[in-house]
Amino acid sequence: MRTDRELTFEDVLRYAGAHEAQATFEAQETLLTVGRTERPEPTGSTDPDAPSACGCGGACGREDAGAGGEVGSSALDKRVDRRNALRMLFGAAAIGSQVASACTPLSGATEAEREAKLLEWEEYFKGHFKLMTAEEKAATIRRLERLTELRKGVSVGISSTDAQPGVVFGYAFNISKCQGYRNCVDACVSENNQDRNSRMQYIRIFEMEDGVVDLDHADATFQHEVPAEGHFYLGTQCFQCANPPCVPVCPVQATWQEPDGIVVVDYDWCIGCRYCLAACPYWARRFNWGPPEVPAEELNPRQHYLGNRLRKKGVVEKCTFCIQRSRAGRLPACAEACPTGARVFGNLLDPDSEIRWVLENKNVFRLKQDLNTEPRFWYFTD
Amino acid sequence: MLLTVLALAGCRRVGELPVDPHQTRVARDSQAEPAAAEHEEAGPDSATDEEEVSQAAPEGPLLFVASGLVLDRRGPGGRLFEVARRTSERVGHQRTIGRKSYSIALRSENLTYYPCSSCHVPGSRIMHEQRASDVHQDIQPVHPAENNAVCTACHVVDDPEWLTIAGTDPVPLNEAYRLCAQCHFIQVQAWAGGAHGKRLDTWRGPRVVMSCTDCHNPHDPGIPTRIPFPGPRVPRTGPRQP
Repeated sequence: MRTDRELTFEDVLRYAGAHEAQATFEAQETLLTVGRTERPEPTGSTDPDAPSACGCGGACGREDAGAGGEVGSSALDKRVDRRNALRMLFGAAAIGSQVASACTPLSGATEAEREAKLLEWEEYFKGHFKLMTAEEKAATIRRLERLTELRKGVSVGISSTDAQPGVVFGYAFNISKCQGYRNCVDACVSENNQDRNSRMQYIRIFEMEDGVVDLDHADATFQHEVPAEGHFYLGTQCFQCANPPCVPVCPVQATWQEPDGIVVVDYDWCIGCRYCLAACPYWARRFNWGPPEVPAEELNPRQHYLGNRLRKKGVVEKCTFCIQRSRAGRLPACAEACPTGARVFGNLLDPDSEIRWVLENKNVFRLKQDLNTEPRFWYFTD
Repeated sequence: MLLTVLALAGCRRVGELPVDPHQTRVARDSQAEPAAAEHEEAGPDSATDEEEVSQAAPEGPLLFVASGLVLDRRGPGGRLFEVARRTSERVGHQRTIGRKSYSIALRSENLTYYPCSSCHVPGSRIMHEQRASDVHQDIQPVHPAENNAVCTACHVVDDPEWLTIAGTDPVPLNEAYRLCAQCHFIQVQAWAGGAHGKRLDTWRGPRVVMSCTDCHNPHDPGIPTRIPFPGPRVPRTGPRQP
């Protein structure tokens, strides 16, 4: 039954335990070769779409999960692919102390540090969010919650709530009402755990002279008393376009549009190429040039996997209409914090919603309509 | 022309109060219990100012948002967002616009000196006599301009919890929007529809909105300027920064 491209956990343990670092290196080489020559199992229950859909060449662990049933429940008999072999190799090395020299990436001074490194190692081999099973999602969420507890000392809850049927979110912004107080910006930063170091902000409030919407000559950095005489204010953020130009440019499909219209990013799948930043005509996306820093006492513990969970260096993030709030029925933080009532949020598919009333009864416009991006974010006046 | 008709219609319908507020006021005076006061303020619905007005069925004395719907409004670190701090879990009476119904948050929950009857004993005319030294020194009424500094332009002399409306009986403080609607009917229309004002807590389920006077100081509705929260380091668009 066993062929040259099938490795079991026993093999991995043998590689890890028999030799020192040199042997480990050779094992990795072997496994890499195995991974390259690997083909989908014709008789297995593997989803044929999985390798192409996740963009990882079939190494994301999906195949392993599908074939698990045929070989029985014994972990030692389980067939592994390259991704899982590497994971198990170093995971086993970290648990067994006989090969301490071979597992320097997982060594740590304290027990907590070792646990955190092991969790991070496990995290490194997980699959794409859309391809994860419910158990895999629960497992990664457990790891992420534990990691935050170990690293930050804060106990957080990460949800992975799916979009509700019959809901498409829409937003309307009253440029007659906005006074430029930036309460929304402040609430957004604290709600979404944005990097305090670079002062990252999803929302920009542009100050413009009365009469014309001219973003080229607008001021987003005003710091005087507002509202200023003869000026009005227009806020931008991610518009969750119905035809998002940022999504198809992603080479690894780390960003996509959810059924309720929210464009999300899988922070653990993003490779940081920033094509999406270049593609967005509204400059709605932000990049973590350094490791994001959020003080533990300001950390928002109510998180969503696709929303405000802690990001890392080198990944893209964006406004998600506060997915952790809106999917729980709450208003986004910006809409709740706005003291002027300039922000209207609701379900576009509900004919009784406020957003629908605004669209039906007010004069509305969208930014850069000629680009055919179909933003779900409208501006209106009194 | 259309607006005039709407305004007139609003006034006319306000006049069709199912319950005489004066009678309820007298009744409350004899009881002087907070629960009774809430009962009257929440009183039967009197929808106004919109076409297709349908009288909402008289709800209980006071609508409580079901506890499952009252969500924790605290932001990170346990702090409350500025406006959420002013919200109320208890909502007042219901109104209907078209086929949509909504409720109005109780304004009286956030008033320092409420109920007014704790000082203003009915019939004492305290409002006039103690103006110079009373606790309301912070109120410098500038609105409406032509009735500057006259409390009784809006408040009932005997009982300032009740507001005077042209051509009809007084309305309680929690229905102040009807006073505002006498002039600002366009804004009240937008408020009823959802384009003006703020909805509380949630985008789905029963709609609870803040009253006019939750945001606008009725005595001085002008919006003061203030320093905004810090802006971004990277402006991205606009004139290039040095």
